[in-house]
Amino acid sequence: MSVKLRVWDPLVRVFHWALVAAFAANVFVTAPGKAAHQWVGYAVAGLIALRLVWGFVGTRHARFADFMPGPDAVLGQMTDMATGRRRVHAGHSPLGAIMIFNLLLTMAGLAVSGYAMTTLMFFGVEWVEEVHEALVVWAEISVVVHVLAVVVESRRLGVNLPKSMVTGYKTLP
Amino acid sequence: MTDQDDSTRGIARPKARGPRMLIALIVFQILCSAFFVVDIIEDFAAGDAVFSHMLPELGATLGLFVGLVFEVRALLHLLRRQAVMEKSLGVAAGALGALMEDYFRQWGLTPSEADVAAFTIKGFTIAEIAAMRGSAEGTVKTHLNAIYRKAGVQGRGQLVSVLIEDLLNAPLVPAGGPVDAGTATKV
Ligand code: HEM
Ligand code: HEM
Repeated sequence: MSVKLRVWDPLVRVFHWALVAAFAANVFVTAPGKAAHQWVGYAVAGLIALRLVWGFVGTRHARFADFMPGPDAVLGQMTDMATGRRRVHAGHSPLGAIMIFNLLLTMAGLAVSGYAMTTLMFFGVEWVEEVHEALVVWAEISVVVHVLAVVVESRRLGVNLPKSMVTGYKTLP
Repeated sequence: MTDQDDSTRGIARPKARGPRMLIALIVFQILCSAFFVVDIIEDFAAGDAVFSHMLPELGATLGLFVGLVFEVRALLHLLRRQAVMEKSLGVAAGALGALMEDYFRQWGLTPSEADVAAFTIKGFTIAEIAAMRGSAEGTVKTHLNAIYRKAGVQGRGQLVSVLIEDLLNAPLVPAGGPVDAGTATKV
């Protein structure tokens, strides 16, 4: 008997895949620093701003309060992994939430440092450029870990998490 | 011994600091490794990598990775032990907990089997264990069969008596001196 849970509202889902597209575009497609790169970067800023607001007024599992990770919850999830217990979280899991806050902050940092490079004050200032580039590396590492974690957790729990980010529903075994 | 007294009175045990320190160390070491790996990749990409100059860096990175493997294993072990003590045993956490751990290792139980075995010894039913572990009852039964086979026993009763026998053979008065009244009544 499987249970279908509605977890992600359309805004969260559109936000997620738009963010993925924009990040990929700026890493692989647009020329660094050119107009297209800047516009895509501002789109990322807009998406993050929207998500921040939605984190306070959105639907149940979209709210930050719903997935604020505490030390006990994090230890609990690690214990589940260590003992092979399968406890499915309806919304974001505690470890997942840490990664999500990291990704949101990193994306915001990218947009801010990118914008700073175009301002008179920081134009040509080396360390701003270095911050932007360091954040790119950090973001790439984070995304790889994020995707690996999604795959590992999907297998451990028997729930197709990527599918839930498309359809909005988690199917619990 | 104080642990046992606390849990019988329903007082929460002080939060173990072990896992937290270990997790902090692991996170720190992962960050260090990431830094080294990125640095090495950049050196190679820039083409100014002289292998002999890189050796110390490569060695340090390797050392970090090996350390990480050991730390993660220690963390998993620690979490499993705490899971057994907190969730399934309460009163007997000290002596019986340690004894169980020894046997589980000796029998070569997997982490899932060890978890199911601990719940079983405590007396939970298959349905209860399945609910607590978020798995199907069939899965728990499969684990149980493996546990009984590895332990060389016929069923739950024998599994428990293996442990009880060992506890009864152990001296009731520890080498350090007589047990205080509060503990003695519970042994
Ligand atoms: C999610 C957002 C962003 C991502 C993923 C991103 C990614 C990148 C990448 C991969 C580079 C090349 C770095 C390198 O040379 O190693 C770069 C450079 C650059 N980015 Fe962004 N960027 C983002 C946002 C922005 C924004 C919002 C702006 C400006 C409004 C911006 C302005 C620049 C500039 C001026 C450079 C050239 C720096 C240089 O010449 O070294 N970026 N960005
Ligand atoms: C550029 C790459 C990516 C970024 C920046 C990113 C970012 C994020 C963010 C911010 C969230 C939180 C969603 C929210 O609550 O608003 C999230 C969740 C999620 N992402 Fe990604 N993501 C990326 C790539 C991917 C990919 C490629 C997949 C598919 C394999 C994926 C699967 C998921 C899933 C399944 C969740 C929900 C996790 C859960 O159930 O708790 N992500 N991601």
